[in-house]
Amino acid sequence: MMRIRGWGGIVLAIVTAVMLVLPLAVKSSFAVDIFIRILLFAFIGTAWNLLGGYAKQLSLGHAAFFGLGAYTSTLLQIDFGISPWIGMVAGGVVGMLGSLPIGWLCFRLRGPYFAIATIATAQVLMLIFLKFRDFAWGAEGTTIPNLGHAPLMMQFEGKAPYYYIVLGLLAVALVITSLVERSRVGYYLVAIGEDEDAAEAVGINVPRVKRDIYMISSFLTALAGTFYTQYIYFIDPQTAFNFSVSIEAALVSIVGGIGTLWGPVIGTVLLETTSALLQSWLGNSIGGVQLTVYSLILMAVILWRPTGIMGYIAEVYARRRTKSTKG
Amino acid sequence: MLEIVAQAVINGLLIGGIYALVSIGVTLIFGVVKIVNFAQGEFVMIGMYISFFLATQFGIDPIFSLIVSMPALFVIGVLIQHFLIRRVLGLNDLPQIFLTFALSLLILNLALMVFTANYRTVHTWYSDEAIHIGGLYIPVAKLIAFAVAMILSGILWIFLHTTDLGKAMRAASQNRDVAQLMGINPNHVFAVALGIALALAGAAGSLLMPFYPAYPMVGQVFVLMAFVAVVLGTLGNVIGALIASLLMGVAESLGIQFIGADSGLIVVFLLLLTTLAVRPSGLAGGRRQ
Repeated sequence: MMRIRGWGGIVLAIVTAVMLVLPLAVKSSFAVDIFIRILLFAFIGTAWNLLGGYAKQLSLGHAAFFGLGAYTSTLLQIDFGISPWIGMVAGGVVGMLGSLPIGWLCFRLRGPYFAIATIATAQVLMLIFLKFRDFAWGAEGTTIPNLGHAPLMMQFEGKAPYYYIVLGLLAVALVITSLVERSRVGYYLVAIGEDEDAAEAVGINVPRVKRDIYMISSFLTALAGTFYTQYIYFIDPQTAFNFSVSIEAALVSIVGGIGTLWGPVIGTVLLETTSALLQSWLGNSIGGVQLTVYSLILMAVILWRPTGIMGYIAEVYARRRTKSTKG
Repeated sequence: MLEIVAQAVINGLLIGGIYALVSIGVTLIFGVVKIVNFAQGEFVMIGMYISFFLATQFGIDPIFSLIVSMPALFVIGVLIQHFLIRRVLGLNDLPQIFLTFALSLLILNLALMVFTANYRTVHTWYSDEAIHIGGLYIPVAKLIAFAVAMILSGILWIFLHTTDLGKAMRAASQNRDVAQLMGINPNHVFAVALGIALALAGAAGSLLMPFYPAYPMVGQVFVLMAFVAVVLGTLGNVIGALIASLLMGVAESLGIQFIGADSGLIVVFLLLLTTLAVRPSGLAGGRRQ
């Protein structure tokens, strides 16, 4: 066991080192843009995975928090001139607070009904922001004023700084996940994911554990919303509360391996790389190609490998180990 | 004022008939197979494209193309049950939810690739006709769609209550294990349930075509409505889904009339969320499986 952990540590160190020098080595801004997308969705997926993966509460409404984070920081910046760095944390808090009523409503339901109810909450938020134009620019949205190179306002020349920000966010999310995984709460979550009634019966305060993990998950997702708005300099209800954010958050985790630390990261690398290759091969001319391929991958995973890529790796490893102990 | 309300109610009831076809399908699949079909809206979309092509290529009236779209979707339903859904039955929530979810994404995006996002419309002789009663205005195309939807729902009800197969389906939805002990072959019953549910979605598509544009994302509107209706009505209950769908059509229409053109969906979602908040016990079927 020690030996494996040693190897894992070396691999992790090498990957971290490569990630840190990557934008220095790669000058193509197209490539760095893809890296940023991968890191961003790995981050959102990791946030989703805390709730969806460990506790098996299959949310399809994480766009709600992405959008709340995006709008909070943008409103603070444009109306009050507050730096998005502060706005990001404020957005996280708003997302976290938003998860309380949403969770209160949706946790009454289980399985598919929970998923449907979360879709509805994200849609309601989008419709509200579309409708009330005096409050937040309505359907047209707004551009973020470009201040040139202004690190204090989270604006930079070149893409590398954005890369490091989202890399940092992902690192934070992974550390949180690994802490949760090893804590008592981590075991509670897995128990809830296995069988909620049984978890309740052995004395776990199920509503409270679910509420707490939902708060952490939505806090992190909201940070991603602020980052994304700052990165693309634009916000409108359709991008902020986009259903595809909710879909991709769940998808990368399922494909990579639900309820595992590295699952969402591996899933995102696979899906986003596939998508980037498709895009460079076909161009942007045909709509729908990316999600067609995603849905085929998702279907294949569900039918043949419900534990995702991480599950497959664990299986192969276990098989090799039994073989070596036999031999 | 009264007239405006009456008009909004009529509009809502007429479109509610279409919602009913979609939600009866969802509730039937849920009742019998215990799966929530996220792809139901995409089958409405397929039905619309079938009618669109029959109308533009062969000049067949969309209402009559039911004769093609319903059997075609019945077959698709049987195949989906056989090759996909059968493989995830008895597993946990994740594969059951995400299999039909993936199917929905797949069909939608394939349609986007093949048909592009353009709106397709079919203009029939009755598309712009309307019956005027007093100050009220009843569009003929919607009236036909509503009437056919009610007839199909009635036929389904009679089928479920009088035929052996229909009774077997109801038995399977009430207690699968006991039904199996009574000699009901679940795979056979499930396949028929999927087939019927998809045929109803196809019918909804064909009926919509004279007054509603076809585009790849069109199904999403209808499937969301269906989910709300299925949750509001008692789960797995055909009559419940029918009544809830008509009520939602009316709620949406009143929302559009009195809050604003883009507010129909807000009203529907708020209806769902308020129901969840106030009467979660009404959703007993969704809480414990």
